Amino acid sequence: MANKKKWFSLLVSLSVVSALFAGCGTDEKTATPNDEGKTEVTTPAEGDKNTDAPKDGGTLTYGSFTDIVSVNPLFVQDTGSGDAEQFIYAKLFDIDRTGKVAVEPWSLAAEPMTISENGLEYTVKLKDGIKWSDGQPITADDVVFTFDTIRNPKAASPGITGFDKVTKIEKVDDKTVKITLKEIYAPFQYIIASEIVPQHILKDVKLEELQKNVYGTDPAKTVTSGPWKWTEWKQNQYLTFEADPNYWGQKPHIQKIVYKIYADQNTEVQALIKGDVDLLGGIPVTQVDAVKGKKDLTVISKPGPQYEYVGFNFKPENFKDKFVPWTGQKTRQAVAYALNRQGMVDNVLKGVGTLMNAPFLPGSWADPGDAAVNYSFDPEKAKALLAEDGWKAGKDGILTKDGHRFSFELQYNAGNSRREQVAVVIQQNLKDVGIEVTPKAIDFAAWVDQNLTPGKYESILMGWSLNNPDPDGESTFGSKFFPPNGQNQGFYKNEKLDALWQKGTSVVDQTKRAEVYKEIGKEISTDLPYVFMYQYGTPIAMSNKLKFAEADAPESSLAYGYLFHVINWSIDEK
Amino acid sequence: MTEYLIRRFLQSVLVLFLISLVAFGLIHAAPGGPTQMMMAPGISPETAKIQAHNMGLDKPLPAQYGIWLTNMLKGDLGHTFKNNKPVGDVLWPTVGNTIKLMSFAWVISLLIAIPWGIYNSTREYGLSDQTASFVSYVGFAMPAFWFGIILQVFFSLKLDWLPLSDMYDMDKQGNFLNLLFHLILPCSVLVLGMLAAYTKYARSSMLEVLEQDYIRTARAKGVPERKVIFRHALRNALIPVITIIGMDLPILVGGATLTESVFNWPGMGRLFVDMARQREYSVLMAITLITAVVVVAGNLIADILYKIVDPRVKLGGKGGRSA
Repeated sequence: MANKKKWFSLLVSLSVVSALFAGCGTDEKTATPNDEGKTEVTTPAEGDKNTDAPKDGGTLTYGSFTDIVSVNPLFVQDTGSGDAEQFIYAKLFDIDRTGKVAVEPWSLAAEPMTISENGLEYTVKLKDGIKWSDGQPITADDVVFTFDTIRNPKAASPGITGFDKVTKIEKVDDKTVKITLKEIYAPFQYIIASEIVPQHILKDVKLEELQKNVYGTDPAKTVTSGPWKWTEWKQNQYLTFEADPNYWGQKPHIQKIVYKIYADQNTEVQALIKGDVDLLGGIPVTQVDAVKGKKDLTVISKPGPQYEYVGFNFKPENFKDKFVPWTGQKTRQAVAYALNRQGMVDNVLKGVGTLMNAPFLPGSWADPGDAAVNYSFDPEKAKALLAEDGWKAGKDGILTKDGHRFSFELQYNAGNSRREQVAVVIQQNLKDVGIEVTPKAIDFAAWVDQNLTPGKYESILMGWSLNNPDPDGESTFGSKFFPPNGQNQGFYKNEKLDALWQKGTSVVDQTKRAEVYKEIGKEISTDLPYVFMYQYGTPIAMSNKLKFAEADAPESSLAYGYLFHVINWSIDEK
Repeated sequence: MTEYLIRRFLQSVLVLFLISLVAFGLIHAAPGGPTQMMMAPGISPETAKIQAHNMGLDKPLPAQYGIWLTNMLKGDLGHTFKNNKPVGDVLWPTVGNTIKLMSFAWVISLLIAIPWGIYNSTREYGLSDQTASFVSYVGFAMPAFWFGIILQVFFSLKLDWLPLSDMYDMDKQGNFLNLLFHLILPCSVLVLGMLAAYTKYARSSMLEVLEQDYIRTARAKGVPERKVIFRHALRNALIPVITIIGMDLPILVGGATLTESVFNWPGMGRLFVDMARQREYSVLMAITLITAVVVVAGNLIADILYKIVDPRVKLGGKGGRSA
């Protein structure tokens, strides 16, 4: 008996540990390749909600299902911390609704950045009178300090990759900073559209210790630059932000922000319905009807800045007999024709999605539009293409070529109900043209670790977040970026595209760049390293007591777009 | 008795050490790690490596365990990897919150279940007994999260009598009445679950005792039934119930993850799931160890309570016990 009890004790403890393995599949907010982003709008966000002058005061309760890690802009990598950052930090430049870099009244920059004739020198001029929440002025020193810290490997800031083409960062005068690049790199304008950290607070911290510093986790010690300042953090419960009386710009209308943390998306949606929460950046598409049914709530169901794809792997070692079934371009195109993508958007995504044919967000300035090949659902055409590529029906109805059956495994992350459903549709669609698919769900962490990062799989159903509005995709599709050097996890190589990606970042002029991306769109949609599926997302839901002009309405297609222009919003409790 | 206590104490320390070793191994065997779980799109492998180094995660596992154990013996639970918060700061508030929720539910369910079970044992298959059976079936069969949502929809969303979730209203943090108000729904869910088991245990344990010869003798002697029940039967009947209660002690700390999630209660069950997702090893280890300590202590306490309640148990004999 005594023995048994000891075993029992051990078992109880271990069963607690084993929850580890169960708990990790569904949350991908913090993970590398994108999983669940935030999305948005179907019911039009009424601009004319705002007929009277905006009221000052009131509390906005924002719901999140993850806590923050740290709001220190040097290290923010997760959506939870990123959301909190939106309230308390001003950025050097902001992004407008169409994804272009813009100077807003609440940006730190005084005017658009100037880029020298040769495309190598970026000059940034700061506004007068901007200051930190402790009253110190924000100067060129802060900007230089921030960027120099990010690009120093010792600090281990995730932003470092954006700065690898920088040769020097200089202070011209108190208000002006000049950054010199070693080669033309057009996406750089988005990289400096970022938050700045206070040099006077952090300059004495050793670079290796920065990530551990209390700056970013202790509200009292986190000096900020935005309209609200951070007043409290009760872990796993809430954060509060109050309008900063010392804020340098025009004061926000909303007095207080409560950033409320919920256990999961369902709990958070219940709270919205109850009226405990005013704004949710993303609700599951399955909950949209329940929320729409409430007359004091509005849902914006447009897809967000992320897309889903079926990724092919081209590395023979990943296959039985080292036979890659889709080396032929026609075979890949046949797979694209065989998939009923619109059907998936209509039925699985409940309409909250837009078909994509290239890795550029529909409607963005780099969207190639009709230049990209659109693969409509056409099983007959798929069969014809497969036949042209040498596939013949085998005895069991599955196609064969050179003695190999067309049969492969499609991996996705367990617990993602959208991918579970889509994987089944893919399986059925491809079976109809004689291809055998085995969907395989894997725990997310294990999947990233053992399959995605090293590029060990036959095919995947996966998504990318396009949080940076720049269309450059070289690190995803370029042949220099095979694992472990980058994210071309399918080992895709196309020399024409390699050259085009390079070209796309080596002109600064946006109109000229758009032409390059049109060409890329055409080539990539013909050659198909992926079958591009659709832009997807989770709708934004909010209380009707939130008021804003049409120009300030949430923008689903941007990262953090559910808080777009929040400084101009107001609350009308009625 | 002293010798017995010392022996049990040493055994407990050994068990705890083994648990920590196994738990450490298992936690690190789970795929992914703190750096990987926090990686942003496009972060380079080199940066991830430097981050791991800055967090001390590049040392070999035995060395990491050694560091953890040494710190632990000094009373230092470590820091979270991602934002360097002392584990105690993260953990203790949630332990307190869980104890508030669980002990409230636990005491209520014991106060209802034991008298009810005993009463039912004296009127077997009566209306009250049938009702208890029904409640037990419902309590065992109904998933906690589902019942929780039903209560929320009805009492909070529809009738608007009770708060939906959380421990306090935002503007009433720390207010005791507000806390009680927020306790009603989650406690109802927990009480139903506990009631199911405890009522059954109390009843069957009592029934068993009532059939013993000495009870029959007492009745034959003409001892009044009241006295038979309370003087002769009750103490003996409570022994198995105490065992169960002792073994259940850990849930007071471990919490009920599902109930905590549904009602957004900031307790330790929820913390564990969050931290598991983020691979915060030091928090996971601390939670595992606390749970283990409570399990071991709960067993020990149950054994000591035997001694007090049951005159047949003699502790300290080399040959072990036969309780």
